[in-house]
Amino acid sequence: MRRLEIKSCIRAAAALALLVCTAGTRAVAEPPAPAVIKIGSLHAASGAYASISMPVYDGLKLWIDRTNADGGAFVKAYGRKIKLQLISYDDQSNPGTAATLINQLITQDHVDLLVGDSGSVLTAVAVPIAREHKMMLFDPTGTGAKFFTHDNPYIALLADPASTIWPKYLADFLINQGVKDGLKKVAILYSTNDFTSTQHEALVGFIKASHAPIDIVFDQGVPTSTSNYTTLIGNIAAASPDAVIELGYVGNDIAFLRNLQDSGQTFRFIFALYPGIETDEIVKNVGAQGIDHVFSYVTAQALDYKPTVGMDVATYRQAFETAYRSQGVAFGFNAIAGYTVGLMIGQTLGAADSLDQLALRRALFAQSGHVRTLDGPFELDATGQQIGEITPLGQLIAHGNTVTNVVVYPPSLATGKPVYTTP
Amino acid sequence: MLYHAVLGGLVYGLYFTLVGLGLNLMFGVMRIVNLAHGDVIMLGAYAAWALFTAWAVHPLLAALAILLAFTAIGIPVYYLIVPRLLRARDAEMLSLILFFGLQQIIEAAATIAFGTTERSIPGRVLGHHPVRILGQVLPAAWVWAGAVSAVCVAALYLYLYHSPPGMLTRAVMSNREEAKASGIDVDRVCSLAFGIALALAGIAGVFAPFMLGSVTPAIGPDLNIAAFAVIVIGTLGNPIGTVLGGIIYGVSLMLMQTFLSAWANLLPNLLLIAVLLVRPSGLLGRRVRRA
Repeated sequence: MRRLEIKSCIRAAAALALLVCTAGTRAVAEPPAPAVIKIGSLHAASGAYASISMPVYDGLKLWIDRTNADGGAFVKAYGRKIKLQLISYDDQSNPGTAATLINQLITQDHVDLLVGDSGSVLTAVAVPIAREHKMMLFDPTGTGAKFFTHDNPYIALLADPASTIWPKYLADFLINQGVKDGLKKVAILYSTNDFTSTQHEALVGFIKASHAPIDIVFDQGVPTSTSNYTTLIGNIAAASPDAVIELGYVGNDIAFLRNLQDSGQTFRFIFALYPGIETDEIVKNVGAQGIDHVFSYVTAQALDYKPTVGMDVATYRQAFETAYRSQGVAFGFNAIAGYTVGLMIGQTLGAADSLDQLALRRALFAQSGHVRTLDGPFELDATGQQIGEITPLGQLIAHGNTVTNVVVYPPSLATGKPVYTTP
Repeated sequence: MLYHAVLGGLVYGLYFTLVGLGLNLMFGVMRIVNLAHGDVIMLGAYAAWALFTAWAVHPLLAALAILLAFTAIGIPVYYLIVPRLLRARDAEMLSLILFFGLQQIIEAAATIAFGTTERSIPGRVLGHHPVRILGQVLPAAWVWAGAVSAVCVAALYLYLYHSPPGMLTRAVMSNREEAKASGIDVDRVCSLAFGIALALAGIAGVFAPFMLGSVTPAIGPDLNIAAFAVIVIGTLGNPIGTVLGGIIYGVSLMLMQTFLSAWANLLPNLLLIAVLLVRPSGLLGRRVRRA
């Protein structure tokens, strides 16, 4: 009898110990799921970069709102949907303020995921801070080449190709077809910021490495704050180039193209960066005739990818304009970029084993080559640079008050042939 | 290239004379520093854009409407702000703080009202073809902006030196307390000068979409820096000296763009430092500062 009691006691103690151990193990392996996943980001509601930042912010916000309306994002680490909370501060286009606010998001708000502001100027300050705090920076459109190095695992470019990739097709066109068509003297005018300076260096590098008979007769950088190009256009004309390439932000391109119209100067080949990126905004300010026959990049707006996740361009555009029409935010490539960032965050959360920053990175990189969004194929190189979302060379053709962007290079994607203007 | 840069700079500088004129008039008469000056220019630009977009009002007509509207708005705003400010012990410093706050409010309100995207008025409105002057081709908009600026400078000169209220204004510029003691209604004189200063900034704003390519609610601070450079070069407090400051600024900027383009945005700061180090009273000096 007594033996039976001892046996029962041992069994009960063993069961209790097992229960405690199991409970303890569960507590370590599966901490309670958070009520919300905090996404920290910056946006510029005012200042020089507001026009490229607000569409990205609004695109991300739209994705978050829709995801939350659907019950939240599926988080694999907790095996269920969790609502998302966007914490975003206005850096007023000021890099100093952006640096302070990025720190605040990491150290005070303890965000789970960190998203940078739009563009290279405001991203430049976030890269070292994210790295120092070992936070993965989900970089929407900061494409400066120096952000991406093999010794920094805490950054990935989600919605723009790297600046070194952007001018590849432009350079190939000049080297392979432009020379045959008589475009042998090239003038390059660029804004001195990470985004366009990197493109300038890459473009000049491609041309020089090709040993094609192309003479760069004008090559000057101007501050990004430049708002008048009349004298510069006169100086370019004095160099008699066949092709003029202008690399700037939205405001730079608007001023350049308007001054070009006002000056009465014409060149056989004119390339500007933003007419193909923020087409609506450029048309609104320069007029359709002002960008008729201007060459530019072709982005997702004109390429109409068939996405494997999220909406296509037409559906998304309708949703974006319905949500933000009254706020004066133009639909363009940056609006697509913001939504793309949201989609890739969703994919990452759905694949990551935990919310540890390196686990998030592994999950994000695992998507490379397997996902296509409305922005094109998502593909990262080892340093985190986006290499899938390519930018073919296009030419804008005006039809009354509207324009279409015709792909002219590479030949495999071309939908038309280049048309040169007569100076 | 050099000739084009100099001629272009002269015309461009004439526009920047207009940009600085109102700021200098306000400082000259009231000794207050209007840090919201650039944002008043921005408001003028948006007013011209709105008039053109809604009713296709020509910018020159818009400039006339803005002259009247901004003067009319300026007078009550003066009575609301300035007399209280001038009663303070350090009015100049307080004006810096007050107008900085006002600048933030104007920019935020404009962002809410107009959004952050770029706005402009088609260049063809001021002429379909560029204008040839002394063998150099310049945009028609530059010529119009330069011409309107010259008219404004001439009008201000006539007002200050050949009209009774202008004479009273110069008396206040010379010594506010003595003017008050001699029976001049200082507030009345200053309120008119305040209104005119805002109107000049508003007119400069009408041409901003043409001279700057486009406008956003954020253009104010950059315009402020340019305006300060212009008026410090041409002598702070001397509205007519602004012409000299504007032309030096415009020609230097075009020469920098031609020969040292990457450093062109440093120009306003360099000019400011150079003038403050070499001739702190401005190129025209103190003798003419007090009109």
